[in-house]
Amino acid sequence: MNPSLARRWMGTGVLIALLLLAPLYLSQNAYRMSVVTGAFFYAILASSWVLLAGIAGQFSFAHMAMMGIGAYTSGLLGRDLGMSPLVGIVLGTLLAGVIGLLIGFLCLRLRRAYLALFTIAFSEILRLILLTEFQYTGGANGLRLAPLYRGITPAVGYYITLGLLLGTMSLMYWLTSSRFGLFMRAMREDQDAAAAMGVNVVRYKIMIFVFTSMIVGLAGATFYHQVGILTPNTMELLQMSLVIAMAVIGGIESLLGAAVGALVSRIGLEMLREINILGFHFELGAWRYAAFGLILMITLRFAQNGLIYPILNRLFPQQVRKPLAKSETSGGGPS
Amino acid sequence: MLVALELYALFAIMSPGNLCVTNAGYVANQINNGLTIGFIYALMAVGLTLIYSVQGIVSFAHGQFYMLGGYVSYYLLQIFVGLNPVVAVPVAGLATMLAGLAFDRLFLRPMQLGRIERAGEYAILVTFAFGFFLEYTVLAAVGPFSQKTPPFLEAGSLNLGPLLLIPNRLVSAAIGVVLIVALLYFLNRTWLGKALRAVSMDKQAAAVVGVNPLTMNTLAFGIGTMLAGMSGAALIPIFTWVPWVGSTAATRSYVIIVLGGLGSVRGALFGGLIIGLVEALGAGCYPDPSKGAAYKTAFGLIIFAGMLLLRPTGLFGRRE
Repeated sequence: MNPSLARRWMGTGVLIALLLLAPLYLSQNAYRMSVVTGAFFYAILASSWVLLAGIAGQFSFAHMAMMGIGAYTSGLLGRDLGMSPLVGIVLGTLLAGVIGLLIGFLCLRLRRAYLALFTIAFSEILRLILLTEFQYTGGANGLRLAPLYRGITPAVGYYITLGLLLGTMSLMYWLTSSRFGLFMRAMREDQDAAAAMGVNVVRYKIMIFVFTSMIVGLAGATFYHQVGILTPNTMELLQMSLVIAMAVIGGIESLLGAAVGALVSRIGLEMLREINILGFHFELGAWRYAAFGLILMITLRFAQNGLIYPILNRLFPQQVRKPLAKSETSGGGPS
Repeated sequence: MLVALELYALFAIMSPGNLCVTNAGYVANQINNGLTIGFIYALMAVGLTLIYSVQGIVSFAHGQFYMLGGYVSYYLLQIFVGLNPVVAVPVAGLATMLAGLAFDRLFLRPMQLGRIERAGEYAILVTFAFGFFLEYTVLAAVGPFSQKTPPFLEAGSLNLGPLLLIPNRLVSAAIGVVLIVALLYFLNRTWLGKALRAVSMDKQAAAVVGVNPLTMNTLAFGIGTMLAGMSGAALIPIFTWVPWVGSTAATRSYVIIVLGGLGSVRGALFGGLIIGLVEALGAGCYPDPSKGAAYKTAFGLIIFAGMLLLRPTGLFGRRE
């Protein structure tokens, strides 16, 4: 086996083994456990945003809104109609897909800025509506969601979220390496050229928008059944900004980079909540986010591949593909 | 117009007891309120559309420049107690213009020079990131409290027939009108303004006749952010101010510039007045008044979706 490929597989194996064994250590402290589980959730959000924005080139700010649609649908159906969380999650995922379809239909025929403008307006207004209709949604006090099943333990929640992360990541990796992924990259590089080559640009764009909407809808519904309470603040632009920052810092064109970026940032932000240096106690509060914004700007300006992706790439170099034509003409000999 | 009338007739049949149906004076007052505030909405949106017309990018930090303008005014009036808030408007404009110019030089100029791949995507993200940075820096510095400056004018309301005029708001609208007139004069009558418009029409042709597009890009961004800051300073004596006040205001500006047509100054002016009217009438006439105020931005989204469906180039947009 190619040595760099073996190294990649080994790296992946060690990482997954570590993640599987982590609850043995984490379960001593419920807070730590919830932080890491939450970090997995953000890793799903950041990596699916990378698929949408970084790979397909669609800059949507409604990612958290789609997540919220999934979670609110499932929560409301469970509370008002007594549906089981499982059915709720399926319906929530579908509804996120339907809304994604409508927004995609509305915006993706037009130039890029319209999608960004519309989705930002859409998520702000959805949040306002959820706040205003408090007698249905619980407003700022939040909506209570039933647990996935009675007597679920945090460790099970950890494994469910981890499983969701690994599942969606594999799905997205499969998608980007398929023919569909090739179309996506082609459309991002040059929409007109892709259309001229026979790619139905608008249809593929809408499909990818619907697909990522459903992923985050699913993640949101599943995750908030574990958290148990959902407020419109989860759909605030702050949360969207954090997801974007994680994706950019991780590497805007790398699914794995974004996921690792999300894990690191999420855990880092929690650890920096308050710090003690030389006996001085600091409550960092909003300064953490300000610093995060600054890091985001600097990363965008000076490190377009992100901060984490280059490290991953150094540790686990991608196998260098031999140019196809050359290896064929040279008769398959070593080049 | 006809559609609006039909909608109104339908509304009157659906909800006969509503104040908007039974009381003409109430409607007149709502229209008055809408137009008054509409001038400031227009002022802010003109800044955004001006940046778009020259640079070809939408600044997603526009709402935060507006927020910053309000806070500059607030702290100026904290230091110089007794100063009229009118004085703070140019100061806030200057401060946000400097911030905008610095941002443009550091983060947008490299993009215009072609040093950054995928310029369009970079522009969306970097302006958004700057807005995020500004909002949380201000939040960390001033805290999550609502603040307000003294009014422009202490005088009580004037009754003009059924119309109730609030002097404080009228001053704010007057500031909007004066600044819009000054801006139109600048754009249409001065050399610099003509150069700006030339760059927005055709960069290469402008360069041929000796206009440096890079300078004009920076100038447009500076003027755009200045207008956002001035709008903030013009509204803080009327509304209370919190660090996250920018996102709603920015959302409104996005609706206005899409309604008027991206890059059209005239469109942003009319769009601002239209959105002001729609919000005032929508909030005033919504069957449940306690929710009307919250929903007024939501009416904007309906207009936004309608424009995307029917006429994406906007009312005055250029065809592309």
